Amino acid sequence: MPKITYVQQDGVAVTADALPLMTLMETALMGGVDGIVGTCGGICSCATCHVWVDGEWADRLAPPGAEEADMIEGLAHRRPESRLGCQVPVNEALDGLVVRVPPAE
Amino acid sequence: MLDYDPFDYALHDDPYATYRRLRDEAPVFHNRKFDFWALSRYDDCLAAVRNFGVFSSAQGTTLEPIKAEVPTLINADPPIHTKMRHLIAGMFTPAKVAVLEESVRELARELLAPHRDSGRIDIITDFAAKLPMAIICRLLGFPKADEDMLRGLTDAVVHRDEGVFEMPDEGMHASYALYGYFAEDMKRRAGAAPRDDIIATLMAAEAAGDLTHEEVLGYIFILSIAGNETTTKLIGNMIYQLHRHPDQLAILRAEPDLLPSAIEETMRFDGPTQMMARTTTRDVDLHGRTIPAGAKVALLFTCANRDDRKYDRAEIYDVRRNPRDHLGFGGGLHACLGAALARLEARVAMEELLAMMGRFAVDESALQRMHSPQVRGFTHVPVEFGGAA
Ligand code: HEM
Ligand code: FES
Repeated sequence: MPKITYVQQDGVAVTADALPLMTLMETALMGGVDGIVGTCGGICSCATCHVWVDGEWADRLAPPGAEEADMIEGLAHRRPESRLGCQVPVNEALDGLVVRVPPAE
Repeated sequence: MLDYDPFDYALHDDPYATYRRLRDEAPVFHNRKFDFWALSRYDDCLAAVRNFGVFSSAQGTTLEPIKAEVPTLINADPPIHTKMRHLIAGMFTPAKVAVLEESVRELARELLAPHRDSGRIDIITDFAAKLPMAIICRLLGFPKADEDMLRGLTDAVVHRDEGVFEMPDEGMHASYALYGYFAEDMKRRAGAAPRDDIIATLMAAEAAGDLTHEEVLGYIFILSIAGNETTTKLIGNMIYQLHRHPDQLAILRAEPDLLPSAIEETMRFDGPTQMMARTTTRDVDLHGRTIPAGAKVALLFTCANRDDRKYDRAEIYDVRRNPRDHLGFGGGLHACLGAALARLEARVAMEELLAMMGRFAVDESALQRMHSPQVRGFTHVPVEFGGAA
């Protein structure tokens, strides 16, 4: 199972094992990551699954679709490396991925 | 003595005083009669929906045992839930459901037309009970002629007799009738030209070995149940709250752009889904009590939504509040799949109703409620209307 590490706002890094077919949001809930709420359960309507994915890792992900990009557009803490965790499927190639959790909106 | 008994009809009339006492006096409540627990504060309910490893859905999300059960995503944990949810979650995003707006509006106008000049309408039976079922039937590709029959069956599935801790036999028979109907529909499809819709996607997953036949039936079942009753009740509850809060109705009339905010506030203040259940997978220590492993736990979403630890003036209805983080649609992995659709339906329904009715008054003496431990709302909301608002 791929392991994903989430660096929370308090600096604590939480590592969680993804189950098959999970997204970055669902995997974060597996680990009880602070700051990733998942209010809408992944229907791309709440943005409470916002994460920052840095540099080389970002290049390994499929780019955000139009709906995800629109949601990110409305975020105060958006950055070029912003993603919605619920729109990013986890797979073996992402084992070891480290993402950062932005401040709450 | 403080009691919370969701099978008691009296609670359905006004649960909010009981809810307040639960939050303040017994945030970890144990019901001895039925042996279940209840969490009532916002933070506790949110933590529970997020922590699906400890608060499991796999033993069912009702307190009472369900009869005639088929596997559904609402009663599954990962990885089964993950697989099922991802199959069609992409079809329920706000952008995907937005294309339905015109059909929803057309249907709404069609339903309202016969009542426009009469000055009277029963918001539920003439309108709100029909609109969501019509939309779900359209999404699932069922013929219009079957809508009333299907609604009768889905209503029977959610009804509970007073004080009885189980599904009445009518509910079980209705469940079997629905499975039979869905299976027939799938058979008809198998012989016809392929379509591009939800059931086709589910059938393709069955053909690929990703879902069993039972899982497909369960999926169609949950889609036709979950999206029906709840949206109906939201529209009824909203008309009722606006009737009871004329100042808020005036604000909404003056600033129609507040409608989405007012819908969120109605979901928070008087949302239809009162509670969903979970089963603990280990002991949980909370607020000085221990919920044992294997216990049923009711998460009181509508109660949590009135927690003043979370919201300022939580017991006040304020159409400007726009509380997008309420738990009326749940949260976490199982958060309502149809939330964007429900929001769209509610917005269009309210636009059309408010435009048609102008000034209106609910006949409070003729209000009637449904009775279910989980969904709260009216079966009759008779309204008289007419004149400039
Ligand atoms: C105002 C209307 C609605 C309300 C109040 C509502 C409420 C909810 C709630 C609270 C849950 C979470 C259940 C849990 O945590 O165990 C849920 C789940 C669900 N809802 Fe809704 N709902 C509404 C409309 C709809 C509509 C229109 C659909 C149509 C497709 C729908 C389909 C579902 C499904 C499939 C689930 C299960 C999701 C899962 O387990 O992953 N709902 N709903
Ligand atoms: S969980 Fe709501 S947008 Fe990702």
